[in-house]
Amino acid sequence: MRYSFKSFVCTLCLGVTVAALSEEFHEELFLRPLRDGKVSARFSFSTLLNGAVPRDPETLGAEDESQLYTLFPLALGQILREYAVTELHLTLNAGKWNYDRWGYPDEPGVGTGAELWAWMGEGGIASVDNRWLGLRNALAGLFCASLGSLDEQRTTSPVLTFQPEGSLPNSTVNYRLRHATLPSEHVCTENLTPFLKLLPCKSLSGIASLLNPHKLFDADWHGLGMHVRYLEGAGVEVRLATQAVLDPVRTSSDKRRDWSLSAIFDRRIEKACPVARSSVIRVRLPQNETYAIVPSPSTMDSIYATYLVREMEKPLDVAILWPEETKFVYPTAIEPQTHISVHRTLNGASQHAGHLALTVTNNHDTELQAGYLETMPWLLQFYLHTLHAEIDGVLRDDLVKLISYTPALPHVQPALLQAVLTLPPRSTMRLTMDVVKPFLAYTEHPPDAQRGWDLPPAVFVPFASQNASQIGSDPQQGAVLSDVRSTRMYTPVLLVDLATPDFSMPYNVIIMSCTLIALIFGMVFNTLTRKFVVVRVDEKKSS
Amino acid sequence: MDAISKPALAFESPLTRRSIIAAYFLVIFLALPLWWKTTSIERQGLPASRVSAQIGRDLVFPVRIALNTGPHELGMDRIVLDVQRQIEKNGDFEQNGLQLHVSNAATANDYQVTLRLGTWDPVIKGREVVLEILPEHVGIAAMQVADILVTLLMPYTSLWSSQAERIVSYSPRYRLAFTLLNEDATGDNAALSWDVRGALSAQLSPLLARLSVLHNFTIESQVQYHGPLAFEPHALQVAEKTEYGLTPEDLTVFVNSAQWTLSSSVSNDPVLHFIAFIPSSRHSPLRILDSDGSPTPSSAFILPQWGGIVIYNPESTGVAHTLAGRPLDAIFATFRQQLSALLGVPELPPHVQVRSNELAGVTDWQLDALVRRRAAENTASAQETLQSIVRLVAQIEDMPVGEDVKGDVENALAALDQTYSTASSSQFQVLAFASKAQSIASRAFFNPGMLALLYFPAEHKWAVYAPLFASVAAPLLASVIREAIVWRREKKAKAAVAPAADDRGHKAG
Repeated sequence: MRYSFKSFVCTLCLGVTVAALSEEFHEELFLRPLRDGKVSARFSFSTLLNGAVPRDPETLGAEDESQLYTLFPLALGQILREYAVTELHLTLNAGKWNYDRWGYPDEPGVGTGAELWAWMGEGGIASVDNRWLGLRNALAGLFCASLGSLDEQRTTSPVLTFQPEGSLPNSTVNYRLRHATLPSEHVCTENLTPFLKLLPCKSLSGIASLLNPHKLFDADWHGLGMHVRYLEGAGVEVRLATQAVLDPVRTSSDKRRDWSLSAIFDRRIEKACPVARSSVIRVRLPQNETYAIVPSPSTMDSIYATYLVREMEKPLDVAILWPEETKFVYPTAIEPQTHISVHRTLNGASQHAGHLALTVTNNHDTELQAGYLETMPWLLQFYLHTLHAEIDGVLRDDLVKLISYTPALPHVQPALLQAVLTLPPRSTMRLTMDVVKPFLAYTEHPPDAQRGWDLPPAVFVPFASQNASQIGSDPQQGAVLSDVRSTRMYTPVLLVDLATPDFSMPYNVIIMSCTLIALIFGMVFNTLTRKFVVVRVDEKKSS
Repeated sequence: MDAISKPALAFESPLTRRSIIAAYFLVIFLALPLWWKTTSIERQGLPASRVSAQIGRDLVFPVRIALNTGPHELGMDRIVLDVQRQIEKNGDFEQNGLQLHVSNAATANDYQVTLRLGTWDPVIKGREVVLEILPEHVGIAAMQVADILVTLLMPYTSLWSSQAERIVSYSPRYRLAFTLLNEDATGDNAALSWDVRGALSAQLSPLLARLSVLHNFTIESQVQYHGPLAFEPHALQVAEKTEYGLTPEDLTVFVNSAQWTLSSSVSNDPVLHFIAFIPSSRHSPLRILDSDGSPTPSSAFILPQWGGIVIYNPESTGVAHTLAGRPLDAIFATFRQQLSALLGVPELPPHVQVRSNELAGVTDWQLDALVRRRAAENTASAQETLQSIVRLVAQIEDMPVGEDVKGDVENALAALDQTYSTASSSQFQVLAFASKAQSIASRAFFNPGMLALLYFPAEHKWAVYAPLFASVAAPLLASVIREAIVWRREKKAKAAVAPAADDRGHKAG
């Protein structure tokens, strides 16, 4: 005991000499009107712990340094240090992000349900998988979400698609990725409350006071996210994000698309958060339309209007009006807003076999490539040899390259399928594959009412074609290339219906099968031990 | 009529039939051990007699006191005898597991009592107490020595029950969570940060280092900017100013656990919370009221076994960006007192003076008393836990008892034995063994393996077996009975017919 305490005293002394870590808190709200009259709102709250370094896993058994935080959430800091997590991303979303109409989201992680991925260093007394288990359970407790069920049967390591967003501390340690999704998780108020508790100003002042659960969870699409990363030279950053697509047309009485903070959130900003180093509202302005924006922003250019919340007069209620428009007319057709469009369907009515089909459309005049990732639980098993690509009915298997496949092990691990698709300009590729649906052990069925199993979204990462970069000289092509962001695109989730037994009468089943077995046993036994005798019928008597 | 009289078919013979029936029973007989093995519950025998032998066993600490009268005329031999007699008269020492030996020869680790003529209050220096006696009280010097020994060696006997109840139960490690909690940081008076490192190293580190023989500590701190109260404080008029007050009832519900983010989720170590609460300008200044409703000078209170709270009303209004310096030192000095009260560090009697200040305010007498108390507490709790395990296992017959539970119980007993055997040599080792015994015993008690069959009782098993085994057993038994009857009849018939057998044989031929 004495020695470990000494080490504590030493760290305390060290802490004093190093001087207190400075912490910064920044908050931002980004509002963006969409083509179909909706408004995308993205809240971002980032806390930077200057000079901090993620815990080295080698020190896991030893006494940890004291965690003295001012703005950084202590509950999260404890978890990060306990499991020596270097980078962590958690998203909880509800709804289907419509890439074609809404474009790329401001936060890339829009997969329906829960998605958790973390980079952790190897070494020390606890293995990465043990820490991943502890991390899941700790976050489940922190966010009141069923992240505990993100077990080995859902955990994969797709390193190509989920590269670290920050830096990994430069040492000899190997870093491992753990990634898991739970598409059936539904985000709700019980997740938002603990989320808000991690913010220094909770939802009582500053931009976070707009986070009204009644309005947020009424939105067409909404999601929460938490991102922890290590920035070399700066420190550990935790960024909490909320994203929502709100529909002012639906709630307005005269079907106009004018919106204001009080209309879409039912709240205004009454007080600034006293500890936020920056507190900014940015609004993307409508292009080629007549509009009015009130109050007048702190700074404004042709694309963005910016409000510095602390300098504005309170209460602050930002609004955009389209005075010439009496009623919003939904556009009949909206040009797809992203480079590629993806649709995924699961066909086949039987409870045994099925057919997975994807259509990937390149909306551009240049050739594109896309990384394709499936992290499929063993609830759906692929027949990889039936994977075929066709364009306009012509078989084009040559466009699917670099396939890497880890097959699923029933009851143990999910399948991991990665491939690179080459998409010719302005064309639609159709990918098909046969799948088989397994039987589950009766304990593997959830105790709830059964609606089928949600399957995680596939992930696409569009990037510029290598051929195109070799040609490279065409200026128009160059513009497109620079425009292609290597952002992740999530397909909607799928629902698979597996054979479900009747759970209502287990005792009847026992009785029934026991009776059958006893019956068969009795018959066989009787036949084996029966004594056959010849009965001579007396002929004299009968005649 | 008789089956026996009828000729048997060629392919049939009673032997085959009987061996078929016997084969069934053979299979059942051979399968019995397998069935037994797969359905029986592992129940290791617990050392119940050794556990029950622990009842009534108490820790006894021998304490040697060296009386030192210096070159004075107090009469050494007589006073040693007098003190010893006084101590024996006082049954409290024995009840609290102390065995005192008074002598006039000092060795290294003994407690020393130095008697002197004089008028000063008693002074403590290390393990020595200097007691000055008025010349007119020389006659009752022995009684005074005995009194001071009672208050110094057994400080817990004079504790009120409310003081004793606030002491947290022993744990080898505590988390100390310090929170600067602003009721509303957007208002006029708030502190946005605090110099927690400086205050910790100045105020708390010496105490924690002193207590490191008993516990390890993990320290964490946070700042909260919005910590609303769950109730409205009472407004009072004091000297033409409005003040706000917390009644004793308010204090019990002061912690707003729904909105203050205090809980920590990553470890099972008990947490002690220390909160510096800064009321909003709307509730400022905030005072603690006594039961009559008038403000008390105190601004801090302890929640038993939970932690301590200090209410800090900033002197000047306006947002102080950093809380540091003297106000913070005062807050942390209160935290230090609250921590030592929660950990059960006994208080010295008010008239006793302490010579040196370098011991973080905890003298050797206090620390020793605390160590003895914790050792006795852990020993008692380990004994109790072991007895509960044995009782529980005896009560629930279906409860599995694995090798690990048995091993834990045995290890806990061994640690308890070591506790008793080292009691005469080193208090710190006693504490180490006692806390080891306690933690192993509670690990055995909470072993998850013991719960396994609690929800799958024997009745359930029979309900599953009956439909199959009853219906299978019926034809099997019936066939055995039938064969037995046939066999007996055959035998009887054979015995009766034996003499005429030859004739019959000829006839048949």
